[in-house]
Amino acid sequence: MAKNENPFSEMMNIWQESQEAFFKAQAEVAKEFQKSLGQVTSESETKGTEHLEAWNDFIKSWAPAWDPSSFMSQNGFDASAWQNGNDALFAMLEPTNWTRYAPEELRKILSTIAQGPRFADLAMPQQDAANAWRESLDYSEAAADMSKVMQDAWTRAFKKYSENHTLEDLQAGNVKGALDAWLAAANAELLDTQKSPEFMDAQKRLLRASMEIKARQRDMAEAWSEAYQMPTRSEIDDLTKIVHELRREVRKLKREVAALKS
Amino acid sequence: MKNEEKPQEKEVSDPARAAADAWAIAWTQMIEAGAKAIRSSSYLSRVKADDIAIAETPHDVVFEIDKVRLFHYRPLSEKKSGLPPIIICYGLFGRQTMIDLQSDRSLVQNLLNEGIDVYVVDWGNPTRADQYLGFDDYIDLYLGSCVEYVYEKNGKKPVNMFGICEGGTFAAALVALSPELFAGLALAITPIDFHGEPDKFWRGEGFLNHWTRNLSQEDVDLIVETYGMLPGAMTGAVFSSLTPINSMTKYNLGLAEMQGDEAAMLNFLRMEKWISDRPDHPGEAARQWLNELYRDNRLVKGTFEVSGQKVDLSAISCPVLNIFAMRDHIIPVSCSKALGKFVKPELYEEIGFPGGHVGVFVSKKAQGVVAGGLCEWLTSKHNKTNPGAQVQKKKTTRRKSKSKAANGKE
Repeated sequence: MAKNENPFSEMMNIWQESQEAFFKAQAEVAKEFQKSLGQVTSESETKGTEHLEAWNDFIKSWAPAWDPSSFMSQNGFDASAWQNGNDALFAMLEPTNWTRYAPEELRKILSTIAQGPRFADLAMPQQDAANAWRESLDYSEAAADMSKVMQDAWTRAFKKYSENHTLEDLQAGNVKGALDAWLAAANAELLDTQKSPEFMDAQKRLLRASMEIKARQRDMAEAWSEAYQMPTRSEIDDLTKIVHELRREVRKLKREVAALKS
Repeated sequence: MKNEEKPQEKEVSDPARAAADAWAIAWTQMIEAGAKAIRSSSYLSRVKADDIAIAETPHDVVFEIDKVRLFHYRPLSEKKSGLPPIIICYGLFGRQTMIDLQSDRSLVQNLLNEGIDVYVVDWGNPTRADQYLGFDDYIDLYLGSCVEYVYEKNGKKPVNMFGICEGGTFAAALVALSPELFAGLALAITPIDFHGEPDKFWRGEGFLNHWTRNLSQEDVDLIVETYGMLPGAMTGAVFSSLTPINSMTKYNLGLAEMQGDEAAMLNFLRMEKWISDRPDHPGEAARQWLNELYRDNRLVKGTFEVSGQKVDLSAISCPVLNIFAMRDHIIPVSCSKALGKFVKPELYEEIGFPGGHVGVFVSKKAQGVVAGGLCEWLTSKHNKTNPGAQVQKKKTTRRKSKSKAANGKE
């Protein structure tokens, strides 16, 4: 309980401990990384280095800008994911291990794959997969940004409310009044936030990202429809457009005939 | 409220005791609030979906074209006003049932009780099969055909037009294009200048205008191409965000406050029924609404076209009544009032209703201010003047040559 006497000092301790743990983890990771690659090959240290170089060459062939050390320098790196030989390679390929630590690096890789040349007689599912992955990354980021804008708005609303209201409002017995005041403060802040450039920008990016995801879903549904010889939405839309234009033509002709008759 | 002059020591003298007192008061009031909520909850457990009836005024479908239907309402009184019939046209973002929500809050019934002949346009339920319908279809073909039908029924004499929200924009455009068909134009909560006067917007006003102008033309196109339509769920979510706290508290605090009062609960549930019935907006028309009007503001610039004809609002030659809501979150006052710049002052009248967008029709106050004001305006302008007669002879030929009513079926 003594620790709780000064919450700020306690917070500082936690922060310092976290920092130490982080640096320790970094050092362990570097060690484990080397060890694990060695276990994969079961060869000599030199051989391990060759494999590492080969692996880097392979990655660089897809993503020239890729820097394998970039995600290791990020906070919160999970050392345990690298402790066993085979698991280490799988861990490198596991999106959840990458996305959090090096989103921009991942985005570069995905763009490189997506923009690669297409071959006439070779299916290129990895390009579509890379695009889908990039879109989902965009959506996650846009949703997180939007969420932050709204969280900040609620924080500001509470700050403004607490500047003008105290526990005495409740002691006076007017809980409803205090609640109404809080709702009014929150409403005002949310309305102001909704007109702010930050909100507008975040919402636009979220809208675009969600439209891209929706369009991707549509592509997948169309691929499924084609595979099972079902009409696709594009085909039905085409037909709808043709019917719409034909109907217009017929009405126009009807008017002209009516005008001629009169 | 904090008193800055109060010594700080007093506030923190015994914080534990202060917190305990506050907790006791809060607990007591929570129980009181809980009792209120239980009364509302008890009512909700008894009421069934079928008990929530809206738009019950008897009517007949007298004309149809594609999914669009024209309702003719049966008289409710022996009274005959002798006024030209009125055609009411709602927008595509909601249903026309709003104007006949319940018998004591029904614009339709208020008009019928005054002996006025009432027609209402029902746009139907657009689906993706209707995604290519644009304003040429909705304004010129559909609304134009409904007007022609009533015009013919009225012995080829001009009729009154009443447009609401997006339907008001349609109505204004049609009256400007074919003034000979109309004896009067009434609008309610209608955007004309889609940019309005942002510097004068009050907090919460004009969010839609900001939001839409923040999108690029490509963004709008992307939405329409992705969905084919502008989904009702999406527009509903945007409308809800205009009153954020109300949207978050209406099903908890709002319901509790009603304390199970039947009249209040039924009013609320009827509104909910109307809100939940939000149709998808046809894609092409949505693209035009957002790009050509909201973003480019073509109507006031004189570059907005319907069926190849430029809409010139100054061509409106009949008396105009413009009703707007002073606390409208959706259509800013300045966006509606802009019509006054295009119509001759002697033909133009306004009613500024002290309420919100939907309150214009469903609030108790609106029954007198809006419905009463509309009936009074219809009567007084009819008694004062009949300006359409001269224009009618001159221009009917052009309209007649189009004769679109023949495309529909009675």
